[in-house]
Amino acid sequence: MIDYSADLYDPIYAELGVPATMTAGATVANLIVLDKTRRKTVASGETRRKTVASGGAEVSSVGPGVNVRVYELAALGITAANWDGALLTFNGRSWIVRKGDVLGSPNGEDFGEVWLLLKEAAVG
Amino acid sequence: MVDVREDILARLLEVVAAIPNIRSAYRNNTEIAENQLPAVIVFDGDEETSDTQDRPSNSPIIVQMTPEIIIAEQSDEVGSDLTTLRRELIKLVLFDTELNNLIAQSSPRGNGAIRYLGCQTDLGWMRSLHGALRAQFMFKYTLRPEQL
Repeated sequence: MIDYSADLYDPIYAELGVPATMTAGATVANLIVLDKTRRKTVASGETRRKTVASGGAEVSSVGPGVNVRVYELAALGITAANWDGALLTFNGRSWIVRKGDVLGSPNGEDFGEVWLLLKEAAVG
Repeated sequence: MVDVREDILARLLEVVAAIPNIRSAYRNNTEIAENQLPAVIVFDGDEETSDTQDRPSNSPIIVQMTPEIIIAEQSDEVGSDLTTLRRELIKLVLFDTELNNLIAQSSPRGNGAIRYLGCQTDLGWMRSLHGALRAQFMFKYTLRPEQL
């Protein structure tokens, strides 16, 4: 059986990962994340009433997010129970975790990654 | 030459650009970046006529034009923000003297009108919560082919 943690995730995080600090409640943890922030667009007009519309607008922004190894988070005492709302700082910006999607792994979800979707910490 | 349709749409852009706290206003711009938000876009309206009478082809006809206005914003309080912007939009359009004069002058018999038809919203996550509100208005005016 391939050890995906040792053979896949750990080398990738060692090469592409960036240091981050997560504050989840009273827990402050240093960890490694993969910055998955990418361009994102939202279309306005897909549900328009046909009788009145002649156009729509596409608004572009970014969809901030990171991948984190679940087992690294667990070792730091952070689980699905407390990552929502956590403050995450990396690459010079601070974000709030708005949800985490567990991505799974052939070795089980506890040995895979979680995709943390973020929002601006300065707003709201 | 008098083109009431173009006069209305051009004035509509000026009106929506005056909505408080709007950063950018465009006409028919289909691509907006987040640094331009909150933005308002006027999309040229479809037109319909209901004239079925047997009259000369160049007779004046009543036209109902329904332009669409999109307001886009991005913030954690985007729902409240859009509600506020919608309120200002409706007030400014329905009470604008110039728009009402354009309608009245084109239809001196009083059969012109400006109506707010309704709105729809689209929401989604980007850097923060994104929201867009699409509002429709109806401008009923008299099209006089001899003036075009």
